[in-house]
Formats: sequence, C-alpha cells, structure tokens
Amino acid sequence: MAINFDKIINTGWTNFKRNSYLSFGATGMMALTLLLFLGLLTFQFLTSQTVASLEEKVDISAYFKAEATEDQMLTVKEDLLSLANVDSVIFTSRDDALADFRLKHADDELIQESLDQLDFNPLAASLNIKTRDTSQYASIAQFLENNKFRSVIEKIDFYENQGVIERISGISRGINTWGLAAALILGVIAMLVTFNTVRLTIFNQKQEIEIMKLVGASNWHIRGPYLAEGGLYGLFAALIALAIFYPAVYAVSDKITAFAPDINLLGYFVGGMAQIFLLVIVVGVLLGIASSSVAIRKHLQV
Amino acid sequence: MIKLHKVKKIYEPHNVVIDGIDLEIKQGEFISLVGVSGAGKSTLMKMLTKEERPTSGKIIVDNTDLDEIRDKDVPFFRRKIGTIYQDFKLLTKKTAFENVAFAMEVSGASQEEIQEDVPQILSIVGLASKVDSFPDQMSGGEKQRLAIARSMIHRPLVLLADEPTGNLDLVNSYDVVKLLLKINELGTTVVLATHDTNIVNTIGRRVVSMDKGKVVRDQTHNGRYVI
Repeated sequence: MAINFDKIINTGWTNFKRNSYLSFGATGMMALTLLLFLGLLTFQFLTSQTVASLEEKVDISAYFKAEATEDQMLTVKEDLLSLANVDSVIFTSRDDALADFRLKHADDELIQESLDQLDFNPLAASLNIKTRDTSQYASIAQFLENNKFRSVIEKIDFYENQGVIERISGISRGINTWGLAAALILGVIAMLVTFNTVRLTIFNQKQEIEIMKLVGASNWHIRGPYLAEGGLYGLFAALIALAIFYPAVYAVSDKITAFAPDINLLGYFVGGMAQIFLLVIVVGVLLGIASSSVAIRKHLQV
Repeated sequence: MIKLHKVKKIYEPHNVVIDGIDLEIKQGEFISLVGVSGAGKSTLMKMLTKEERPTSGKIIVDNTDLDEIRDKDVPFFRRKIGTIYQDFKLLTKKTAFENVAFAMEVSGASQEEIQEDVPQILSIVGLASKVDSFPDQMSGGEKQRLAIARSMIHRPLVLLADEPTGNLDLVNSYDVVKLLLKINELGTTVVLATHDTNIVNTIGRRVVSMDKGKVVRDQTHNGRYVI
C-alpha cells in the first residue's frame, strides 16, 4: 500500500493550522526548550573562551644558575620536548633575557643606568614551558625536580603560580563536568515538558484516532500526519527561537566584549550561522517527531 | 455471511454481557437487532468489527474466523465492513469531503479515484451542497448521512448500524432508514441495532430480539418489535 509522503505532510500542515491553539502552545514550549539549548551553547562557548584565555596566560618557567652551560640547558629543553603533554618550550639565554629586559624598560633611565654600571649580567637563562592542559603543570615541575641537571636549575616558578594554576584547572574541570551534567539534566527536563505538551495535544484527539481506526486506517496512516505535525512544531519553534536568540546575542555582544575583549560572541554565532541554524532546526524537528511518536504510541493499540 | 457460534463475552469478574449466542446472517439480509439498553446489542456489534474479543466461541465474517486475524491485519478487515453509530463518529476537524476521502485514503485509493467517488457518494446521500462543511456545521440527520456515505465508500459487504437514529428526529430517522433499505437493495447485508419500535415495525424484515445477552426470539419474516 502506497503512503503518499506529500499527502502526509499536507495533512500534518492542515492539522497544524486547524489546531491553532494547541499548535501555538506546543510550538511555544518547544521554542523555550530550543532557546535553553542555545543558551547552553552560549554558556559553553563563554566558559571555554574564558578558561582558554586564562590558560593562555599561565605557564611554568625554569631559571638556570649562572654556571649552567648551554649544552646542559638545551638538554633539559630536549628532555621537556620529549614529553607528550608539553606544547612548547622557549629557551631564553642570559643575553637575550638582558636584551628583553632592557627593551622592556627602555624608558626607565634609572634601570638602564644601573645595568650599565654592573659589570656582569644579573639575569638568569630560562626555559618557558607551556602545556596542552593546565593540570599537567605539577607533573612538569616534578619532572624538572628529578632531572639530572636539577643542580644547575636555580628555581622553578611553578610553585609561585601553583595556586592560580590549580584554581584554573579546577574551574576548567568543574565547568566541563558540571556544565555537561547541567546541560543533560536541563535537556531531559525540556524534552519531558515538550513530550507532555505534545501528549496533551494528542490526548485531545484521542477520539479522532479511535474513529480513524474504526474506518480501517493502519497505524502508519494515523501516525504519519501526527509525526509531520510534531515536526512542524519543531520547525516553527526553531525559527522562533533563532529569531529571539540572534537579536539577543547582538544586544549583549558589545557588553561582553567591553568586559572581556578576547571574546567575540557575535562573531562566533554569526560566523557559524549556517551550522547553528541547521543544528537548531534539526534538533527542533527531531524533538517534535520523537515527542509525537512516543505520545501517539499508546493510542494505537487495535 | 456472518456466523456466531456459542459466543460469550464476560467482563471481569462476573458480568456476562453476551451469553452463548448462536446466530447466522445470510448475504443480502436486512436484520433488525432489538432489545432494551444493556441487552448486549452494542457489544455484539463491536465484536463483529473486532473492537471487542469474545471470551469464548467463534465469530466468522465473510468466511474468515475473526480469531485468526492478526492485530496488524485488523485495519484491512475493517475496510470490508461499514459502520455507523448513534454519535456519528465523524472526524470533527475534517470537512464532509475529507471525512469520506480519509476512509478512501487509508485503503490506498488514488487522488483521482477520491476526486471522482467522494462527490458522487455525497450527492447520493443528499449532501452535495455540504462538501466543504465541517460536522459541527451540519444537522444531526446530515451528520448521519455523511457517516453512511463514509461507511459505503468501500462498497462493504456488511453495514453495521448501531442505533443510527438514536439522536435524530422522526423525519431524519426515516430518511436514514430509507437510505439503509436502499443500500440493502443494492446487495449489502445490513445489521441494524435499535430499540425504536416504530422503525422496526415499519421495516418489517427479520427481527432478532435480545435480552440479558441471549437471543430470545428470531422472527425471520415480517418481524415485529417484541422482546
């Protein structure tokens, strides 16, 4: 038996228009769910950007004693680079350090004069290490502690930054796990609410479904238009949610940029507009179809 | 056409609504099923469309044992049987045209067939001018004629009418009965469940009287309403 796809969509659309109040309610509810979903995306983006920009600023440095030879220092650098979690190691020789220092304080005559009067270079050579993950700094510090050239290392400044580094690691881990958990819980609640709204819509048409069965409609004939109707709730809900979300992002983006210059919220969402539109519409339509499908199941027993 | 053999229906725990009925209805017959409310008429009708299952006994419709029809095949079986009810059971969100068209769509009819047959059957039942009306915009008599049009669109072998005049005034009731007789003349077996004495006596065909779930009288010719 041929079930005409166009016919199903058409019937779903006709039902959608004729059940205007219920459609409005279900669509509104789903639009809220999708807005929540978009809100979670924004939150995820903001936290990941904040953590990333903080992590960018955290590093670990090892300062060598004056007697350390270049060979020794470069061996330590090679050792560090052989570690899997090390992103980069920058070696700064004593001369480079002095040049940098002079450059940095070029306007400060007092410093320049003091340096001129010294007959030796007071600065130490150093290795500046960045890792892929802030939680790795402690193990890098430990690695340096146990290195065969530990004796020529003056100090490891991880211990000074340790508090900041650990706090950022904690925040980053917390946001990732709790953010995901919160997103999942909210997602499930939103789905239940949507499902219930659609269930009430279908419950109202219980008698209609019974009649369809009495005139000999197969389950697919009954289910098809309801699934199409559910998909339409999702489609319109997605369009409403996007119509609210983008102006809202536009409105707050400047404020966020003023507060955190690294974060360009509008740029992120406008840049990925096609993907976000597609994602929200697909999520909306699937949510609608899934809710309808579950809700109608119990009315379809013969 | 329809055979019932020792059919029993018991609603748990001990409510016996059909109590061992044996009945045979031949192709082309017009039979009035009479009895007071609660005699078991509606339950019997529901068992013929497999809306209800008998607790025991056998029901055969058009040479098919209803027990052997699997759940997924029930819709196909129902397309062989037309049904009309006291409360019309029309799809309120669909127009007259769509109500009839729906019954055709579910059996896989093409749009061309639908466009051709639906207006034709609506004009046969006198609803040519109500094609685009919703059931709420129609009178009781019109609704019942629409239900008849819908039930006849498959040219069923049997038409089951459960108190079809229960919600209608005298004039509309007779219109519906005339329509049922006409359908029967064209070869469809009609089973009419009613407790309307006048209608049964006017029809004057086979009358089966039921009481407390049993067939208490079966007048095969020129029957009268007697319980």
